[in-house]
Amino acid sequence: MSENGERNVPGKGLLDGLAVTLKTLTRRSTTQQYPDVQPDLPPRSRGVIALSEENCTVCMLCARECPDWCIYIDSHKEEVVVPGAARARQRNVLDRFDIDFSLCMYCGICIEVCPFDALHWTPEFEYAETDVLSLLHDKTRLGEWMRTVPPPPAHDVLGEPSKEEATAARKAAGPGAATAAKTARPAAVRATPRTTAPPAAPPAPVRPAEPRPSAGEPGPQVPRPEAPQPEVPGAQTPKPGPEADQ
Amino acid sequence: MTNAGVNDALREMTVGTGAGLDTADMVLNIGPQHPSTHGVLRLKLTLDGERVVACEPIVGYMHRGAEKLFEVRDYRQIIMLANRHDWLSAFSNELGVVLAVERLMGIEVPERATWLRMALAELNRVLNHLMFLGSYPLEIGAITPMFYAFRERETLQAVMEEVSGGRIHYMFNRVGGLKEEIPAGWTKRARQAVAAVRRRMPDIDNVIRRNDIFMARTVGVGVLSAADAAAYGASGPVARASGLDFDVRRDEPYLFYDQIDVPVVTRTSGDCHARFEVLLEQVLVSLDLIDECLDRVDRTGGPVNVRLPKVVKAPEGHTYAWTENPLGVNGYYLVSRGEKTPWRLKLRTASYANVQALATLIPGCLVPDLIAILGSMFFVVGDIDK
Repeated sequence: MSENGERNVPGKGLLDGLAVTLKTLTRRSTTQQYPDVQPDLPPRSRGVIALSEENCTVCMLCARECPDWCIYIDSHKEEVVVPGAARARQRNVLDRFDIDFSLCMYCGICIEVCPFDALHWTPEFEYAETDVLSLLHDKTRLGEWMRTVPPPPAHDVLGEPSKEEATAARKAAGPGAATAAKTARPAAVRATPRTTAPPAAPPAPVRPAEPRPSAGEPGPQVPRPEAPQPEVPGAQTPKPGPEADQ
Repeated sequence: MTNAGVNDALREMTVGTGAGLDTADMVLNIGPQHPSTHGVLRLKLTLDGERVVACEPIVGYMHRGAEKLFEVRDYRQIIMLANRHDWLSAFSNELGVVLAVERLMGIEVPERATWLRMALAELNRVLNHLMFLGSYPLEIGAITPMFYAFRERETLQAVMEEVSGGRIHYMFNRVGGLKEEIPAGWTKRARQAVAAVRRRMPDIDNVIRRNDIFMARTVGVGVLSAADAAAYGASGPVARASGLDFDVRRDEPYLFYDQIDVPVVTRTSGDCHARFEVLLEQVLVSLDLIDECLDRVDRTGGPVNVRLPKVVKAPEGHTYAWTENPLGVNGYYLVSRGEKTPWRLKLRTASYANVQALATLIPGCLVPDLIAILGSMFFVVGDIDK
């Protein structure tokens, strides 16, 4: 790029610009036919927060950690009589779980702190309202979004496996080897963090047969049809079972 | 907007044929609501005919009390707030905050996370610059470059969205690293996006940079001398266009900027056209830096964050971290009393300092040049007022 002091032949700048326009004119337009064709959004897209009600234990962590306190939770305690137990157990029952999306800043802290995977991001975005007050959504509405939650993308082979993969590996290794599996995998990564080549024995990321460890929830098994299928890295790498025994 | 207040001393003036050639100065307010100020910046101008005699930038219409809010948020919540004051460089803003907290806590960030942070910060820089490369010509009447700039922005935003889930407010930094590992194959797709943008960048260059009308509006207009730039604390592309050769990435490297060669783009003329050219060339430089960082990411395995205690508390003390944000030097002065919230987190933002230079830049110019100068200072009002 030259300094701006020197000028071209008068009009050359204009012609150069028109040449670009002409070049673009010959190309096909790239209009996205949005209402007819849905956009292809990545699985991590922060569209809306979905609630898996049965996973929620009313621990209130999400409501407390929310930077602008837009989560409203009400609950009551219920006594559950367990046959054979000496006393009736108490459990929390969720009465109300509202998220005010007119306040929500879409930071995802609630999802990050949830210890039981009750909250999930989904790329769903078509919930605009004409009135700002209508953006307060209750647990029924949040629960309906659960079926739009895509499976999380597989992690890069060089990085640490995802929480889901680690859990699956631990389960596959069996209850006895649980701690061994937990420690063996990061150690394999840690052994070669500063080398320039990929780790000699890359940690075997097991594709989660079931994206979330909790069974029985409605949604995540049914991904959006257009959700990109995560690649399975290192399909030939050994199963975590033998690795756990090392 | 054109509310003219006549000086008290000149209230009694004779109008008409007997008045001679003396004209009264007119006070003109540009803003707070004006499309060319990208927000609510108010300029109080004193005009002598078509010529601006004095200019006083009045800031604060968009003050959201970010620094005060930081004092009642924990360090994870601060990241979310901090990426909003300059909404065009969210990633770089987050970075400054976490660097300050990490320094105070003595956390060593994994190598892989640092390379990723650099790649994402440079992607963010390109996104920011493309915004101004599109909006600046738009402000002085050329609508076409906006479409080219936004095409490139879209390509890069898809990459950012895939990794972080956000298109503007990424919220991807955490104290001690990044939120999570990148998806498999992301670096490959990021490289493809960078290559596509690099291939199409000559379009923006050809369509506007040497355009005769554009040059007539910008060359020699709004000249900021290097001394003035330094005196007002201007930084970033605005200062470098005046020949102030200063870049924190090279002169006081953070992350791993000391391990790679950071070319610093400078111009000497200091006019609006030079500022535009610096922006354009910085995009190309940053695209190369992204490729280099992605190569390092692909060669560095390991975790992208460190395990933190449940409640992150910075020990008592204070630290100052500064970063080369897309718009200039952003500083974060963190004072902690050992609580889970900072006692004070002071922001030094690039836009605030850059806009102050308008007080010397604008007097003497003509009203039609005003917008050309204002747009070329590349500021975000949220970043001025915080």
